[in-house]
Amino acid sequence: MAAAALCCRGLCRTGWLPTLQIVRHAKSVTRHWKAMHFERQKLMAVTEYIAPKPEKCIAPRSKAVTEENGYAKLLRWQVTETFRDSKMIAVCQHNFTPSEEMLLMKHRLRKHNIHVKFFPNEIVRPYLSVSKYKNLLPLFVGCSLMLVSPEIKVKEMLRILKNVPQINLLGACIDNTILSNQGVINYSKLPAMAITQGQVVGTLSLMASQTCGLLQHSSAHLAALLDQYIKQQSGGAGETDGKAGEGQAELGPAKSSAGL
Amino acid sequence: MCFPRIIPVSAGHGEMPTQKGSGCLVMLDTFVTFLGKVLGEDVESLWGAGVVDISIPDRPKLKFMDKVPSVPKVRREFKNLRDIRGPSTEATEFTQGQYGILALGGGYLHWGHFEMMRLTINRHLDPKIMFAVWRIPAPYKPITRKSLGQRMGGGKGAIDHYVTAVKCGRLILEVGGHCEFGEVEHFLTQVAKKLPFPAKAVSCQSLKEMRQAEEERRHKNQNPWTFERIITSNMLGIRKVLSPYDLTQKGRYWGKFFLKDRV
Repeated sequence: MAAAALCCRGLCRTGWLPTLQIVRHAKSVTRHWKAMHFERQKLMAVTEYIAPKPEKCIAPRSKAVTEENGYAKLLRWQVTETFRDSKMIAVCQHNFTPSEEMLLMKHRLRKHNIHVKFFPNEIVRPYLSVSKYKNLLPLFVGCSLMLVSPEIKVKEMLRILKNVPQINLLGACIDNTILSNQGVINYSKLPAMAITQGQVVGTLSLMASQTCGLLQHSSAHLAALLDQYIKQQSGGAGETDGKAGEGQAELGPAKSSAGL
Repeated sequence: MCFPRIIPVSAGHGEMPTQKGSGCLVMLDTFVTFLGKVLGEDVESLWGAGVVDISIPDRPKLKFMDKVPSVPKVRREFKNLRDIRGPSTEATEFTQGQYGILALGGGYLHWGHFEMMRLTINRHLDPKIMFAVWRIPAPYKPITRKSLGQRMGGGKGAIDHYVTAVKCGRLILEVGGHCEFGEVEHFLTQVAKKLPFPAKAVSCQSLKEMRQAEEERRHKNQNPWTFERIITSNMLGIRKVLSPYDLTQKGRYWGKFFLKDRV
């Protein structure tokens, strides 16, 4: 009561100095656990002890050198063999294909002696980086499969792949030439070897053939003109004067050309 | 290692006990006790156990504590709860004994507690090889009680009994002698459990370790926010809800309780 009176007197005035402080409060030392002010609870929660983390969390653990699997060695041997034996290697991105479709595709490819190979990227990439196929490295990212064949049958392969939408051609190495997707399509559009060879021969021998014709052209022309003249002579006797003159005129330039 | 010789030394430490034994042995004992007094700490811990003879005092058992002081108080005292609050400033280190009971909270000990402690300890002590001393005074603080059924008001009640105030971190009693902690620990913990505040049986070594562990914890704390830091710089005006005592107690004490998990 006295305290309340003290407080009132203090607070009402303007320009009030806090000389009269509230003296009465609840007991601070109690037998029971006194409830803390919420702000104090928050402070206690924030300033709790945090233990240091063990050192192995900070420094990365050095991986123990694991011995290579026998299986890995086998796979690597298979990869080297595949790259050595095949002339055409096509790399495709492999999304999920239902097993029946996959089987059908493999069957069709097998008919053209194209084999479908799966190899894990961890085996293939180191091999590629060492061998001459360095530029094929960016193709072997993610799920990929290889179509390999000792023969080159690009058109059939493309046709079969078109039927299976889940497999996308990324690139190919045909006859030691690396081709992109577009390159493969262009390659397929090219005619067969025999035809191309024939074309080349034809182009080369074109000049020779033309020479022969050119040489024979003038004499043939003369012979044709003479034939015509004879026909005219024999055919139109009444008009010989006019024709003869024409014929002579024709003969004139022909002779001059023959003389040349 | 030589078997330690147990020679009882009289209560008056400064005197030369002329009646006992040969002169040179007596000189050695007095020299040792003199050194102990001069150095002010347990000579055994300095020189190593087994090297120095620990002298068992004349009265090895705990002495009887009076219920009421010899000059009873006339003036009734205020409740004065700050004699319970916060860490203790006196009797925090070992003086005579090697093992003891450490208070881990504040509270009042009355005559019943004293008797319990005295009887239990005395029962388990072997007076030939062990001794025990009090580190707290006899009850001195008068506690008043009104008789049953009284209404509020009518003045302060009459003095009912006397108590001793104990703060956290104070040693209650010490036990020493030619014994190991393992032997003594058993009955010390028995006693410690019965006290009105949390207490624990400690040895010189274990107390040091406890303090070191606390210190290490404080240093290893990864939390950049500490109670001390926030309160001393009054971040967020948090001192509005905190007491000025928290500046020194730093969030480790709350009323009479000691929060040992706090750092």
